[in-house]
Amino acid sequence: MAKLVLSSGGSILYQCFLDGERVTLGRAPRNQVVIDDPGVDPEHAVVTTVGNDHILEDLRSANGTFVNGARVFLHILQHGDVVQFGTFFLRYLNPKASAEMDLDRTMLVTGLHGNRPTPESIPSAPQSRVRSARPTSVHFPKGRVRTLEGVRAGEIVDLDRVVTLIGRPADDLAVITRRPHGYFITHVEGRRRARVNGRSIGNDARVLRHGDTIEVAGQKLEFLPG
Amino acid sequence: MTSNFIEMAALTDVGSVRQFNEDSIVADLRIGAAVLADGMGGHRAGEVASRLATRVVQESLRTQRHRFGAAADPHSPLRAIEQSINRANQAVFEAAQAEPAYHGMGTTLSVALFFDDRVALGHVGDSRIYRFRNGILQLLTRDDSLLRDQIDLGLISAADAGASHNRSLVTRAIGIEQHVRAQLHEDDAAPGDVYILCSDGLNDLVDDTDIELIVGSLRANLPLAANHLVQAAKDNGGHDNVSVILVKVRKRPGGWFARLVGWLWR
Repeated sequence: MAKLVLSSGGSILYQCFLDGERVTLGRAPRNQVVIDDPGVDPEHAVVTTVGNDHILEDLRSANGTFVNGARVFLHILQHGDVVQFGTFFLRYLNPKASAEMDLDRTMLVTGLHGNRPTPESIPSAPQSRVRSARPTSVHFPKGRVRTLEGVRAGEIVDLDRVVTLIGRPADDLAVITRRPHGYFITHVEGRRRARVNGRSIGNDARVLRHGDTIEVAGQKLEFLPG
Repeated sequence: MTSNFIEMAALTDVGSVRQFNEDSIVADLRIGAAVLADGMGGHRAGEVASRLATRVVQESLRTQRHRFGAAADPHSPLRAIEQSINRANQAVFEAAQAEPAYHGMGTTLSVALFFDDRVALGHVGDSRIYRFRNGILQLLTRDDSLLRDQIDLGLISAADAGASHNRSLVTRAIGIEQHVRAQLHEDDAAPGDVYILCSDGLNDLVDDTDIELIVGSLRANLPLAANHLVQAAKDNGGHDNVSVILVKVRKRPGGWFARLVGWLWR
């Protein structure tokens, strides 16, 4: 279970498990976590539990709430976060949330009820986009292609997206795909397959290596790894 | 796979981490239907739930197919979807009651039924349906998830949602209760549109902008586009099962001229 650990001067003063819906933080004695520092408001902040999340909210405190050195108003706590209150430190520990495997299992919970659309109607207005939870541990290479011939000779295109098209749509078209272990070229459409170093790429993805020459739809390009 | 008015490509993958694939997909050109389900429950019960739900929906739509189409009641495709979802719910609920090992199993369910120049959509859970039209990807379903509720109620911002641990918590599923209320929606399907049904193993790992880029770039080769979407999810971690069904609306043969001829011949 997640918990908050309050410390000051290197010693632990108090621990609080986040098993309730709301845990209040402040200088006043009625708070669940009392922080006796003159820079802390009587009611300074609150941690709310929603599903697997513990959300820290600053209650418009005079001196603000800082997580890992950055000021926050509303923050979803992450395992290992440190919240500073004057000379006090509050650490958030949630080992379960750091092991992302468990959390990926789809589970049924009760929804939150507010002024939300009726369940039968699908909203026609664009919804705010929710960012994917892509782990930051994945690193992608940085490759480029250089045009070798024609009016655009010498022009360099960065292959900084997941796919980059080369050739001509509705004619002969190939795609260069960026993957963690390198770049690959694959045929998309058209009668004539792209050629790498003079040989047709066929139907499967073909890995690109430094200095490979690519020919597609009359263009000639050179692959340059990052 | 191609019929005279739609083209489909479907792919499901266990992902890079999981042992079992609890997603099920059905892409049936004869009835113009795409069905995708992401199951949940212990000891492979999720697999049972998702497979049962997709099969029941397919069978139910097949038996009703003759009742809609050109001359039929314009509301019947949506009703057919609603009925098929109710039947799937009943089947999964009863199977879960009858077999202790299946107790508590459930599944998300997304259904798209193409007819004439329209599409009827049904949705329960967090398996999404998007539409790619004129270079823009639009989400057509609302996730039945705690995360979506949190955003809609202003508890967190959409920008912060990536930091949430609630993305796999669904608030509605097939097979949990005796009755289920599905989101239902009808849309016009224009030539060139690509409809995308996917499990959260795709949209949790691949940003909408990348889904848009991949579908937009590779829509001339639908199986390649499906393959690239699944591959992108696996390259980004792939810690869940990944499934996708792509449905491209084809140009009507002849267009206005065929319609004029058809009208003259009436």
